[in-house]
Order: sequence, then C-alpha cells, then structure tokens
Amino acid sequence: MVEYVLQTHHLSKKYQNKMALNKVNVSIKKGSIYGFIGQNGAGKSTTIRLVCGLGNPTTGTMELFGKSTERELNKARKRIGTIIEGPALYPNMTAAENLEAHRLLKGIPGKECIEKTLTLVGLRDTGKKKAKNFSLGMKQRLGLAIALLGDPEFLILDEPINGLDPMGVVEIRELLKKLNQEYGITILISSHILSELHLLATDYGIIHNGELLEQLSAKELHEKCQHYLHIKVDDPNKAATVLESQFGSADYEVMPDGAIKLFAHAESPGIVSKALTDEGLIIEEFMPMGEDLETYFTKRIGGVQHG
Amino acid sequence: MGNLVKTEWYKLRKDRSFWVLILFLLAFAVLYPLDLLHPFGENTKLPNGNDFYRGDILSINTQIVHLLPAILAGFFIASEYSMGTMKSIASSGHSRIRLYFAKLTVFSIGSIIILLILPIFMMGASAVYSGFNVMPQWSFFFQTIGLLALYEAAFASFMALCSTILNDSGKAIGFLILFLALIPSLLEFIGAKVTFLEPFITHSIFMTEGSILTIDQIGHWDGNDIFTFIAVPIITFLVFGILGSLIFRKKEIK
Repeated sequence: MVEYVLQTHHLSKKYQNKMALNKVNVSIKKGSIYGFIGQNGAGKSTTIRLVCGLGNPTTGTMELFGKSTERELNKARKRIGTIIEGPALYPNMTAAENLEAHRLLKGIPGKECIEKTLTLVGLRDTGKKKAKNFSLGMKQRLGLAIALLGDPEFLILDEPINGLDPMGVVEIRELLKKLNQEYGITILISSHILSELHLLATDYGIIHNGELLEQLSAKELHEKCQHYLHIKVDDPNKAATVLESQFGSADYEVMPDGAIKLFAHAESPGIVSKALTDEGLIIEEFMPMGEDLETYFTKRIGGVQHG
Repeated sequence: MGNLVKTEWYKLRKDRSFWVLILFLLAFAVLYPLDLLHPFGENTKLPNGNDFYRGDILSINTQIVHLLPAILAGFFIASEYSMGTMKSIASSGHSRIRLYFAKLTVFSIGSIIILLILPIFMMGASAVYSGFNVMPQWSFFFQTIGLLALYEAAFASFMALCSTILNDSGKAIGFLILFLALIPSLLEFIGAKVTFLEPFITHSIFMTEGSILTIDQIGHWDGNDIFTFIAVPIITFLVFGILGSLIFRKKEIK
C-alpha cells in the first residue's frame, strides 16, 4: 500500500473575488521528490502556504503524515522543513546565529547540529559575516540549512535554486538527491527551472490557474512525451514520398528549415535510415529526439502564456 | 513555551535597535545630570532628591521615553513579517497563541528594560555626581519602578497588537509614535464629549500613566485608587494580549 506524506482533498482558497486554488488534490508519496510546476500565480505558493499553516483553506482538507485535525496538523508540521517564497533570514545575524535562532525555535538539544548543517550546505567558513552580506546563492543555502535543521522527514522547497550559480545548482541538486536517497526525506520542490526539475523529480504535479491539471510519475511523463526522429536530408520532398510509400505513414512534419520530424517508427531508426539511403538520399542529420518537461508543460497548459 | 521564549530572548539580544536604544538612553542618563547638576562647578545646585527624580527623570520617561519601545516593536515584531521570518516561525508547528505570547513576553521585558534605564541609571549617576545627596525616598523609588514596569508591559501589549496588524516596521513605528503622542489629548476630548466613556477613558493606561508621579502624595491615593492603578495595566495587558493572539491565530502570513 502506498504511503502518502501529504494528501490534499479539494483544497480551495479564495482571495476576495479571485479563486487562487480550486479543488486541488495533491498526493505526495513517501520517499518521492515531487516537482510542483506552474507559472507565476498558478497556485504553487498558495498550496505550499496552506500546507505549512500560513493561511486557512476556504474549503477542503489535507492530511499531513496521515493527520488531518488542526491540532494534529500543527504537530505534524514539526516534522517538515520549509523554504517558502525565498529564504527567511535574520539579516543582522551570521549563518550560525540564524541557525541557532531556529534550533531554539525547534527545540533541538545541543549545538552540534549547527556546524553539521552548515558543513552540509557549504557555509561552514562564513564566520562572522552577516546574512545581509551574503550573495543570493549563499542566502539560498542558508535557507536550505534552516529547513534541514532537526532532520525533517518532509522538505518543502519553494524555488530553492533561484539565484544559484551553475555549480551551486549542481551541488544543491546532488544534496537533495542524497537527502532523498540516503535519508529517505520526501521533497516537494517548486521551481521555474524545469530542466533542473527534470533531473531531480520522481513525480510531478502541474498546476495552472489554481487547478491541478495533472499528476504523473517521471516514468509516466517519459512515456507521454512524444518521441520522434529528427531527419535532415538533401531532398525533403523526396524523403517525404519515401516515408509515405515505404512506411505508409503520414505521421511526420516538415519543418521550415527542411528538417523532418517523424513521429511514427521513432523506435526503429535503423530501418528508417536504411530506407532513405536506399533511395539515394543523403542524410545530413539523423537523431532520435523526445520532448522535454518544458515542452510537455507548455503543451499541457495550452501553449506559451505570459503569467 | 520555554523554547519559544528562549528563541525570542535570543533574537532580542541580537536585535540592533534594542542595543542602540539602550546605549542612547545610557549615554543620556549619564550626561544629562552632569550637565544639570554641574557637580564640579563652584555654584553646585542640588535639587531635592524626590523633585529631581519626579521632575526630571520620571517626567522625561512618561513624556518621551515611553514612546521609544515603538521603535523596538517595529524592528522586533513587525519586521518579522517584512523579512519573511514569520513564515518559518508560523510553520514551525507551534500553536500560534503560544508563539504570540512568547513574542509578547520578551517584547514586554525588552520595553521594560528600556523604560527603566533612566530611573535607575540617571538616578544612580546623579547620586554619584552629588555624593549621594540627591536621592529620592526608597519607597517612592521602588513603587514607581514597579508601576513603570507594569504600565510598560500594558503599552507593550498594545504595541505588539498594532505591529501584528500593520506587518511593516516603518508603518508600525510611525503609527505607534504618532498614536501614543496624540492619544491622551484625543481621549480627553472624547471623554468630555461622550460622558458614558469618561470613566473608561480616565482609567485607561493612556491617561493614568502620568499619575505615577504623584503616587507618593499621601492622602491623595486611597485603597481603591491604588487597586485601580495596579489592576488597569494588568487587565490592559491581558485584553490586548488575548486580542492580539486571536488576530495572529487567524492571520494570513504573507
């Protein structure tokens, strides 16, 4: 039986006349990395804020670690670590002092966890430097360190890689993978950087205009993403005739630059290339391709929109 | 609750505005009587201990210094919302009521510390400068210290409520200083126009705080007056504290 860390049931949130969330049913399996995808204002942060207890839903309920009453939910929130809409830091405190304030808040005995967590996120040598003088990347790391204090079972990270340099992105990605695989921490991560999510998430939730359009696993996403052969030959018209006559397929598309996207027979590129060369066509480019998360997401929400 | 109070105490100790206010008041406490008493001059003038304590120290305290915790309220409470740290506090799994009262408790302590600097240190400094000739009566001194602390806790409760509603340090400081400076005259005006409100207004902390100066006037105060004088700040602290915690409990934290 699948164990869920978080389940929301018809969760809705209305601000004055605007429906920010409309009957959202999110289910996050224990041990998964859940990529929460949506444009600005789609409802990601609102969902996260409700789960974290920063607001009350207009209608609907939620279960966190199987607990659903207000008192139980509050208790269950002690088992989560969060970064909500950016790292929450005391600017006039050092990294260690920020962690100390949160250590006291969480009631964690002993100060050893502070150095351990700072080492984990690569901020051990920041010494007396105040958080206000940190770079954006360092602030993100410190926010992550705060979220990790007290060994949470569930991490909720809203845009945790914003502002990180490429190396920082890789380090945080590896750290999150390690936390998930070695420590079994379930992670809910929302990010605009879909290519990064693609490398990390085991499950996805796509939210748009306050509605959860779809939830799917990485495997399901892979299956759903359309695969095709990218073909560029010296004579595209002849190639199209060959494809239709030899494979009886019109499931292709000729692009403005003459390249052909062949959706049928994408799994047998050898046969296709042989058929083309046998007809005397010179192949300039020939690659099996697939849609990525970004393309799938864009198609799913109905094309490029400006949110 | 213990670890919440410890957290807030830790944050207060690290709060720059708190230390700036303390240092400013300490400097004032040491320098003001030096200027006033001219202890090393030939024409040294030593006012009566009670008069100096009442006329200078307490009067400055009730007119100006009791506005200063508004600055602390802005930086210690309202800024938690603007910095976003309130989000991690509120999502920490503690009850909102406990979180609020932990903050209020420590903020009250911080405000009391600020308010007691002048009575203690200015009195101490002037006593040293005058060779301990300028001393108030001990009973009057301790009564006023106790009452100042009690009234400041009540004001702190009101300031915490406003900071929780306003969410922004600048707005909170501006509003509180303006409000606390104008409210006695405003209440006096309302009390004169709306008679049934007059007893509530007369006994509110905004009107009675100034009377601390006259507590040593024997015969002026009877048992009922003293009871009212002590009960009003306690009730005010509780009422604003409960109201603030209920608002914080329902508050959407952005």
